Amino acid sequence: MGDTEVKNRKVNRNKNKNEKNKEIPNPAVDPRDEGDGESTPEALPEELTEEPILKKSASPKKSEKKQRKAGSATAGQSLADLPTLAVTCHFNLLPMLLFGVALATRFYALDQPNSIVFDELHYGRYAGLYQKQTFFFDSHPPLGKQLLALAGYLGGFQGDFKFDKIGSSYNASVPVFAMRAVPALTGSLLIPLVYMIMLQLNYSQWTAALAGFLFLFDNALLTQSHYMLMEPIILFFAMSGVLCVLKFRALERSGNAQAHSYSLRWWGWLLSGSIFLTCALCVKYVGVYSYLLGLALVGHDFWEKVLGNLSLTKKQVFGHAVARFFAFFVVPLMVYIGVFYIHLTTLVNAGPHDSAMSSAFQASLEGGLSSIVRGQPLEVVHGSQVTLRHAHGSPCWLHSHAANYPVKYADKRGSSHQQQVTCYVAKDINNWWIVKRPNRTDLAVAAPLDRISHGEEIQLVHGITGRNLNSHNVAAPASPTKQEVSCYVDHNVSMPAQDVWRVEITNREEIGDVWHALESMVRLIHVNTSVALAFSGRMLPDWGHNQHEIVGDVMINQPNTIFNVEEHRYTRNEDEKDRQLELMTTDFIPLEPVVMGFWEKFFELQIRMLFISNENVQNHMYTSSPWEWLVLTRGIAYWVSPDSNAQIHLLGNIFIWYSATIALAAYCSLLVFYLLRQRRQCFDIHEEAWNQFRTTGEVLLLGYVFHFLPYFFVDHTLFLHHYLPALAFKLLLNAALVEHLYYLTRLVFAKQFFNWMCVLIVLTWMSGILMVFNKFLPLCYGLGPMNATQILDLKLRETWDFIVHKP
Amino acid sequence: MTAPTLICSKNQENGLNIKKMKNSDSIGFKLLDQFRDGRNDKIWWRVFALLMIATVATRFYKLDQPDHVCWDEAHFGKYANFYINRTFFFDVHPPLGKMLIGLFGYLDGYNGSFHFDKPGDKFEEHQYMGMRIGCAVMGALLVPLSFLTVWEMTFSLPAATFGGLLILLDHGMLTLNRFILLDPPMLFFISAAIYSMVKFHNQRHRPFSLPWWSWLSSIGVMLSCSVAVKFVGIFVVIFVGCRTIADLWEILGDLSRPVSYTVKHFMARAICLIAMPTLLYMGIFYIHLAVLSNSGPGDGFYSSAFQVGLKGNYLHDGSTPRQVAYGALLTLKNAVTSGAYLHSHDHLYPEEIGGSQQQITTYAHKDDNNNWHVKRHNKLAPSWNSTRPIDFVRNGDLLRLEHFATGRNLHAHRSLAPITIKQFQVTGYGLDGVGDNNDIWRLEIEDGEEGQILETMLHRFRLIHYNLGCALTCTKKKLPAWGFEQDEVTCNPNRRDPNAIWNIEENIYPRLPNVSFRAYEKNFFQRFIESHVVLINGNSALKPKEGEATSKPWMWPINLRGQFFSGGQLQVYLLGNPIIWWGNLVFMVFYLILWVSVGVRTKRRITVTQREIMLQERALSACGWLWLGWLLHYLPFWGMSRVLYFHHYFPALLFSSMMSGILLDYVIESIPLSLPKNSFNASYAAILSATLLILFYSFYLFSPLVYGLVRYADTNSTMHHLHWLSTWEF
Repeated sequence: MGDTEVKNRKVNRNKNKNEKNKEIPNPAVDPRDEGDGESTPEALPEELTEEPILKKSASPKKSEKKQRKAGSATAGQSLADLPTLAVTCHFNLLPMLLFGVALATRFYALDQPNSIVFDELHYGRYAGLYQKQTFFFDSHPPLGKQLLALAGYLGGFQGDFKFDKIGSSYNASVPVFAMRAVPALTGSLLIPLVYMIMLQLNYSQWTAALAGFLFLFDNALLTQSHYMLMEPIILFFAMSGVLCVLKFRALERSGNAQAHSYSLRWWGWLLSGSIFLTCALCVKYVGVYSYLLGLALVGHDFWEKVLGNLSLTKKQVFGHAVARFFAFFVVPLMVYIGVFYIHLTTLVNAGPHDSAMSSAFQASLEGGLSSIVRGQPLEVVHGSQVTLRHAHGSPCWLHSHAANYPVKYADKRGSSHQQQVTCYVAKDINNWWIVKRPNRTDLAVAAPLDRISHGEEIQLVHGITGRNLNSHNVAAPASPTKQEVSCYVDHNVSMPAQDVWRVEITNREEIGDVWHALESMVRLIHVNTSVALAFSGRMLPDWGHNQHEIVGDVMINQPNTIFNVEEHRYTRNEDEKDRQLELMTTDFIPLEPVVMGFWEKFFELQIRMLFISNENVQNHMYTSSPWEWLVLTRGIAYWVSPDSNAQIHLLGNIFIWYSATIALAAYCSLLVFYLLRQRRQCFDIHEEAWNQFRTTGEVLLLGYVFHFLPYFFVDHTLFLHHYLPALAFKLLLNAALVEHLYYLTRLVFAKQFFNWMCVLIVLTWMSGILMVFNKFLPLCYGLGPMNATQILDLKLRETWDFIVHKP
Repeated sequence: MTAPTLICSKNQENGLNIKKMKNSDSIGFKLLDQFRDGRNDKIWWRVFALLMIATVATRFYKLDQPDHVCWDEAHFGKYANFYINRTFFFDVHPPLGKMLIGLFGYLDGYNGSFHFDKPGDKFEEHQYMGMRIGCAVMGALLVPLSFLTVWEMTFSLPAATFGGLLILLDHGMLTLNRFILLDPPMLFFISAAIYSMVKFHNQRHRPFSLPWWSWLSSIGVMLSCSVAVKFVGIFVVIFVGCRTIADLWEILGDLSRPVSYTVKHFMARAICLIAMPTLLYMGIFYIHLAVLSNSGPGDGFYSSAFQVGLKGNYLHDGSTPRQVAYGALLTLKNAVTSGAYLHSHDHLYPEEIGGSQQQITTYAHKDDNNNWHVKRHNKLAPSWNSTRPIDFVRNGDLLRLEHFATGRNLHAHRSLAPITIKQFQVTGYGLDGVGDNNDIWRLEIEDGEEGQILETMLHRFRLIHYNLGCALTCTKKKLPAWGFEQDEVTCNPNRRDPNAIWNIEENIYPRLPNVSFRAYEKNFFQRFIESHVVLINGNSALKPKEGEATSKPWMWPINLRGQFFSGGQLQVYLLGNPIIWWGNLVFMVFYLILWVSVGVRTKRRITVTQREIMLQERALSACGWLWLGWLLHYLPFWGMSRVLYFHHYFPALLFSSMMSGILLDYVIESIPLSLPKNSFNASYAAILSATLLILFYSFYLFSPLVYGLVRYADTNSTMHHLHWLSTWEF
């Protein structure tokens, strides 16, 4: 085939260059050995960072460097001393410089606009609830919100502000700057972080700086870092974790890996890696993908380097496995539980989302339900007055009211015309029922208590109307295949009362056979027809006041048939009038709070968060699909000024996004190309270059795929900001590809000229990025005023919907 | 069936030479040896024949019972009717499965007269057996196909036998494959595709020979058929794709051949696995659309232009001017799936909804109240007998729409819509066509150029409210009784809502020449593409209703809950054989453990006996692919938002049962190895017979679920103690 020959020729020709290439990333190497200055292909980022917009933030160091740089650039071919300067002086300066610019951009006008921007509505509200120690329910883990709350607390936030709608102004009580400083700071720290990640992946400092540059001047990352949002925090944790894992890998892969094992550094990188990755997970569950990436890298190394290392004894291998297991499973679990421990021990007051939780959970919170149920009797007996809550899914209470089912439904079916029984989502005196044994007529509770246990038969008397819960072979109003449940009214039409129900306690292993308020989960089985009292999920029309339908369902084993007693008290009066009065007026005096342990609360919360979260914003105007993220089809309107067209709109730097997408495609094609060629035993690039290229794929491409692919399979509404973690890996890949292409240029063309062409192209590309960044900057900060033409001028794509509400 | 002879040499090489074992003196053990060996043709055929007899016996026993419509037969029987009567219908699945059912019925002389109204209806004198037999035959073929697949993968007769038995003795497979459903054809095509794939793989040493080509094309045919039955067939396409890439990778690695050789292989696969199946798939749709030439209940799901091609549809013979001019009388149709006409009537919105202006709705039926006069925003409509030049409606024009019957203009204003309160209310306003400037709408033709003349049917457009910038939208939510349960129309600030697109269907304007609707008829490709858009939308619209108990993917492998096929006196309940299903789970985990331990062993260079390595290789390589297949057919359901049912698991079950067959063989071969050498055959026989006994007994135990369980009133019936899980509802 002749491939081998070609390979050899190429490799020989570039041998000395290759050596040099290897050395660039290593700051310890004496730069003087490097020769002809080719090592500065991406020499230009720092020149560019000075040009833009934010000139005022330039430090003295920076201008000094600018002069130096300008001088060396004009020096033309006498470049022998350029790398000397570059390496020795710039190594520490570059990330500092990038960090400085990052801080400047992220913190610029941080308290503007002084009103609620996009999801600050939620996160700000949650931070406020933390100050008030009020329980709330959110389907994401709490760490990010805790950080915001902490910043708010330090800034003197009392939690008094009402986050009502996007765009309403903050008042003086909200420390906007302090709270926004959390994402702004984490967002700025990202830039030195990615710089270090690139160095760790064996790329030159210029490539690393280029990566920082891309992060720095992407409008979406800037916008996201400027307001109280979670993405910068999660990105910060994820990238820190990746960096630590890479450092750990470097130890593992270094020549004397044995010596490093279990050293302080070894443990330090391993543990901090897993802790950071877990923190990312604790901000939002999508952080799990970063964690999986870290796990995959560490696992892969274990497989190859430890298990494959035959010089290690069985015992040593086992030890390594245990250490990694501890670091990547035990520690994360501890961190995760710790975060929730803080969450649950802080939030002790009842709040707006209580009803998402079980009655027992609510009862353990101060105020709210606990003030009602506190001190109520535990055991349900003959004569108990109870409210029955639908225990799983949407909360509602068994309800009846003085209105009958319509004689004929809209679809011409008939009904029993007995009193309606529904499930009502609000607390109401019509939710009260009295538990009664079929054979007893008195209702007042007196000693000895007549406890109700599993398997016993009862009747349920509706407190206000005094009618019995009944079911019979009549089709239910909204679910014709199921059986109607009513409160029995004798219409004298030979329809006897069938009002006896059998109590089945589903969790009697834990609670015991006796029916307990709050804790026992009960099913009511209709004795005559063996159906279970069930919530059907359908809504009744106007005649049923749009309350939920209650039916008798033959499917007994399903969550919708489970109820529990929420409020409970014993009947004191035998007289019906008095009883009703009692129902209307009484309130129990709190005696002693219900205590629910941390673990119980933790597991309940986990289950609710993971399985019952269905906050699906249907038909939102700014949704987008994963395919659209690749080409930035849609942005998200975050905020618009009430007085002008000034607005905040989440949009990436379209130039960066397109280049990154192209880079991704180019990387993948190159990868496939190399693999195919290697399969034919043709090696086109040097082994070091290939190793670097492969490691890049392992970390960055895999990271991208982990963070991007799952979105094709999820089923909730997606927005552009979901793409940012994947984007971060894509930007790094982009920078890596630039260096690889530069390497290829040098491999193919011997002439200096082409190298400088490359540099020039990169330079032009970067200035293009800066221009686009600058153009869209007003959309990041929401600075105004802007008129309609200015806004429409930014509308580069037909699908970007900016808000134009003023001339 | 030439395969068995071909294989023998291979086994010898691998050192599976049973004769070395001692104790093969008695006849029983000799038979056993031959069975394990699998090289003896006679034994092979006997086993196969036994399996086939059992298959026929189980699949066709009491096939005519229950003699009423079971479960989804109500749907698929109905669809068969539509094919036989050639009326157009809509279903969320591609057509091949239903066409086959229709064909079975047709061959049997069924005339499509039974209504299949609801489960439980008696068939009485109607010819339903043809369809049942057709489905049962396809379902029965699964057993030999899995037997042969496992055989081709491992060349181990016990493994193949187990593979076949696990399919044979599973009640779930059996029940699902006895009724008029899409699953029998789909499962058949899937397993035929897998069988062709392994068969093709085994031809790899004689590429481009006739068998090589025929098995390759057979893969292609089976793939396109399985996709054409249900879209889940796409998973088996991916599976075969992975296998093909792996094959090509192998070929590429052979340095003794030039690259062009790989390219040749690639081209052959591209033709047989991509081009040919695509054509075949389109061919199936062609037949589908050609057969269903009469108007039927599915018309409304398709666009106006599509409906033109259906005989008996009112659009089929109608005619209308092509271009739309001011002054014309129009009907506007919502251009989404089963879109309805823009409608108004002489009733006001109720007081509490606000406005008290005239209602605007959409209405699915033809009605005089669907007619709208189109006029310029600043002029009255020109009369039909004026002589001035015709003024056409163009893209970007500002216009008013006046409701013909009541003289109100289509109007929107800044109050809340009745149901979708995030959008604006649309009303009829004004008197005899005189209103205010909230009646002005801008016409935006989709992908249209500025100034383009609006055309009937062909153009899809939005109406953007001039003052509010929102788009006229049908939210597809029903209004309450005051709105006669017609659908709500709103003005939607999100202009990209797909429900905001309309088209003109009727256009009455005497001054322009009428063109027959037939001129708009779509050609096959347009109809093909539109069918797919509608299918995909239909599929994703199958969302579970709030509070409805749905089946979740995690419940399936553990056989948590079945599915009633028939209630009433003769109960049929779809439930897997718990022994097989739970065994599959165990083997799935076992495979992973085996895989990891073998990986560790190779990595640590721990040596084991030749025989062990051979056994493991045989099991692992085959199981690896089957495991991937299982994963591909199961995992995607976790991410699906549509309604899911228990029977969606069965394609995955095919893979996992075959895998269990192979691993069962591996275990039974391996366990006796650890026992004293001289008891090998005895222990092998003991384990084998115990396994078979358990399998057959469990089948016998639960078989009433398949063949109809007479419902006993008392709870002490024979089946009652079989409620191993409290969630089983039979």
